[in-house]
Amino acid sequence: MTLQLATTFSQLSLSHYLVLSGLLFVIGLVGFLTRRNLIVMFLCTELMFQAAAIAFVASGRYWFNFTGQVFVIFILTVAAAEAALALALVVLLYRRRSTLNADDWMELCE
Amino acid sequence: MDGLYPYIACLVGASALYLLLRPGPLVVKLLGTVVGFSALAWLVVICSQVVPGEIDPGHEILFLIFGAITLSSAVRMITHSRPVYSALYFVMVVLSSAGLFLLLEAEFMAFALIIVYAGAILITYMFVLMLAQQASESDHVDEVPLYDRLAREPAAAVIVGLILAGTLVSATTTGLTHLPDPVDESVMNRVHGELLEQLPRQFKNAVLATSPDATWPPTPDSSGNMIRWDAEGPFVQFGTEAVRIDPDQMPSNTQHVGWSLVASFPASLELAGVILLLAMFGAVVLARRQVEHGEDELRRDIGLDPMHPDEDGEGTSA
Repeated sequence: MTLQLATTFSQLSLSHYLVLSGLLFVIGLVGFLTRRNLIVMFLCTELMFQAAAIAFVASGRYWFNFTGQVFVIFILTVAAAEAALALALVVLLYRRRSTLNADDWMELCE
Repeated sequence: MDGLYPYIACLVGASALYLLLRPGPLVVKLLGTVVGFSALAWLVVICSQVVPGEIDPGHEILFLIFGAITLSSAVRMITHSRPVYSALYFVMVVLSSAGLFLLLEAEFMAFALIIVYAGAILITYMFVLMLAQQASESDHVDEVPLYDRLAREPAAAVIVGLILAGTLVSATTTGLTHLPDPVDESVMNRVHGELLEQLPRQFKNAVLATSPDATWPPTPDSSGNMIRWDAEGPFVQFGTEAVRIDPDQMPSNTQHVGWSLVASFPASLELAGVILLLAMFGAVVLARRQVEHGEDELRRDIGLDPMHPDEDGEGTSA
């Protein structure tokens, strides 16, 4: 049969994708904790979004359910909104202190 | 004892990440890279030993290539000292995960990811990065600021990551063995057929392409489905006469995603629009107020009264 979607997707394939997405999430988390540059910290959150998207699409493929891909569309929406707001805030902070160093804004957490 | 292997593999990977995060000579970085890739290979072996199921070798090879590119670009992204290169490595992560999406037969999402992420969001990041870099490095051009070169608490962060990664990997490998078997071809065929019946024009065209003089509508079977399947593919029944449907006429991935989006989540779709609109307003409001503040300062510098005395007072006291 020559159907595009008529191949089976085993638990083994799903485990590969889920492990990859977990590792990608952890790399994003470690990056968020170790980097001091505000913009790179936000980039690391985008990395975590990306990991979640891979997990969604792989699980959707396993169950042959397209809700996983629909959720990736919403992830893209939230990522775009977050990027716009976060970068506006970063520009605001940068204009005040002329630095992107997160440590210079320590008083915000007191 | 077998349950500990995922944690040990993650420990090896975490020490590789630690070597790459802290500043050191090239040899240490190379060692970290080699150790990291061997930890990844070990994780793949653990998965294939614990989790049941077959995997297509071609699919597996492509997955390993794209996965290795994704993870190594992600690591390079968090270890590179220049933010612009970090953003470019993130583009690499996005491109290779689009490759993974293609392997998962999610073509629409793969290209949407490239267009929206690599094309729009990353460009915004690059804009802000360039804007900030230009001013901060005007006096000493090739100097990377210290806060970009030194990682903050790499050991603690790597330990946090190690715990999370070990838990995730061992939960995945043990949990997936309890999953029910993957959906077989008949379920996929039924999902395709059900969507095609929801698309009247495409359904009619697909049937009339092979048998132009059929009298609409086809006869449904006992469970109410008009499209039936046998070993050679989909067909519909007009009374006693069977008419084949070309499998290429079945709905594509994009149609499935669009149908799920609009039919199952209409309210979320509206909400997504509202979120985007509010984010746009928020960005405009945040950026605009600061520009006015700057103008007032300029006016004060050249001896004029500020244009917005009340806002200026608020701005300086905040």
